[in-house]
Amino acid sequence: MSEWPGQLLVSVLALPVTGAALCLPLHRISDRVATAWTLLVTTVTCAGAFMVSVRVSHVGPFSHHLGGWLAPWGIELRADQFGALVGLAAPVFALVVFYGVRYSRHAVEAARRGPYDALLLINLGGLLGFSFTGDLFNLFVFMELFSLSAYALVAYGKQKVAAAASFRYLVMGAFSSLLVLFSIGLLYQLTGTLNMADMAYRLADGVPHRPVVLAFGALALGFMTKAAVFPLHLWLPDAHAAAPSPVSAILSGLVVKMGIVGLIRTYDIFQGAGGVDLPTFNMGLSTLGAIAIVFGAVLALIQDDIKLMLAYSTVSNIGYIAVGLGLFNESGLTGASIHIFNHAVIKAALFLALGALTFRTGYRTVSDLRGIGRRMPITVGALSVAVISVVGVPPTAGFVTKWYLAVGAVAAARPLLAATLVFSALVMLIYYLRIVNAFYFRPAVHEEVERAVDPPLDMLAPVVLLSGASLALGLIAQVPIGIALPGVMRLLGGG
Amino acid sequence: MTMLLDRADYVLAIILFLIGLYALVAKSNLIKKIIGLNIMETAVFIFIITGGLARDGSPPLVTQDTTSPYHDPVSQTIVLVGIVVAVSVTALALSLVTRIHAEHGTIEADELRGGR
Repeated sequence: MSEWPGQLLVSVLALPVTGAALCLPLHRISDRVATAWTLLVTTVTCAGAFMVSVRVSHVGPFSHHLGGWLAPWGIELRADQFGALVGLAAPVFALVVFYGVRYSRHAVEAARRGPYDALLLINLGGLLGFSFTGDLFNLFVFMELFSLSAYALVAYGKQKVAAAASFRYLVMGAFSSLLVLFSIGLLYQLTGTLNMADMAYRLADGVPHRPVVLAFGALALGFMTKAAVFPLHLWLPDAHAAAPSPVSAILSGLVVKMGIVGLIRTYDIFQGAGGVDLPTFNMGLSTLGAIAIVFGAVLALIQDDIKLMLAYSTVSNIGYIAVGLGLFNESGLTGASIHIFNHAVIKAALFLALGALTFRTGYRTVSDLRGIGRRMPITVGALSVAVISVVGVPPTAGFVTKWYLAVGAVAAARPLLAATLVFSALVMLIYYLRIVNAFYFRPAVHEEVERAVDPPLDMLAPVVLLSGASLALGLIAQVPIGIALPGVMRLLGGG
Repeated sequence: MTMLLDRADYVLAIILFLIGLYALVAKSNLIKKIIGLNIMETAVFIFIITGGLARDGSPPLVTQDTTSPYHDPVSQTIVLVGIVVAVSVTALALSLVTRIHAEHGTIEADELRGGR
């Protein structure tokens, strides 16, 4: 069991969490050393996670048994196709941290920068651990790692609303974690195991129905709250808008997706369980998703604050993923799972580009930032590309997702759902056209905007790379689809 | 009725959970919300612990004279980790409340909403 893929899996999880512990003492010595350390750990970890994904795409899922204790008794680390999609998005995290070096110097006071770096690394460890574990209780522990660090990171926001937004996020998050823990306890009492694969096997073997349904409900509700599926999204807009821009990028791009990964794990566990009515649940999920799409798009339309607009757009995009999961056919699930990755890239590009505008001008609303397009051409150009991608204009990454979802909706004989997808794409087009129009074709109203120039290369490069990726991923969409497809087939019961 | 008595531990856990939920939802004071959250957490811990107890069981320690049946060690481990998490959440929440109080001068949720 001591082959290199297993060791790689262990180090990808252990490195960021242990590395975080060193951030605080290093920060006492020198700010530069601590920053270099954070960058080094993030880069190595994300490269490792990416390698895990590459291996999954070449040879399929693989496991590592911690301490040599075989499953179901020991803790099994497992990299499957959906975990690999998160691993594929790990470079996004690295780019955000890279961008964040200069940004955090400007947004976070010196004394609080050590914990800030540490929290980022813990968050990374939690995200990857959550995606790469085969043990349900292990999943809970990693979930708490990324959740707690996320609550604390939101509180780094400068505005007065930040602490209250963080508190609301914490209460909702703690409540959903509690539901998940309750479900884990119940499932353990029912099956006597914590290994997810073993649990699925035993649940299919005839366990009393009513407690199983209760466990399913608690687990699904907990993860839906984490994913901010409508109407459980109330904590999201304020939290994502109040956080510093790099944190918003991570929260919107990766942290909410963990709820989706959790839902996929729930499907895995309850696949054959008696008493759980998955088709009804899926019907509900896709309906909620459709409402979320429209609701998020309309609320985004009326925001002047661009960060709030992007946060509501996340609600809408989570709706897309929920629709795809709820359709539960090949196209729908493929669209949903690649959107986990695509949306991470697109939303990170958007938040980072907006962060660069705020960094230079101090403003963050559409009306204040009028005329910025001519002053910061590269940043606003990158922003516009990402905008086109999130709306879903071909040939961008966003288009691929929506295409798959629409095909899935038609295949499931739900034309109304397909119509919703198209309608909301139009609404999104309006609100993004509004941004582009204000940025390029309106005269500037503030002096700071007149004087602004593109940010330095270390901030500009991540923005350009991410927005380039959001365009390129439409052209090389076979890569994430190729990774997701075997996993989708497994969910559909093909093996 | 006998079933309820048989499962008195579960009934207790459910009652505690509901009390906590009431405090979390209905109380406006943020500290009381945190207390409510803690009560709910305790209810879940009780549920998991009592589910792992054996009738007339001994502690799950391997010694010379360990006799079966013994209580399930995994349930207890789960709850131990759960307590650690709960303490961290509470600590973070309390520190947020001090910051909210410093910035807004109140820790009542309804006053916070009004003055935004």
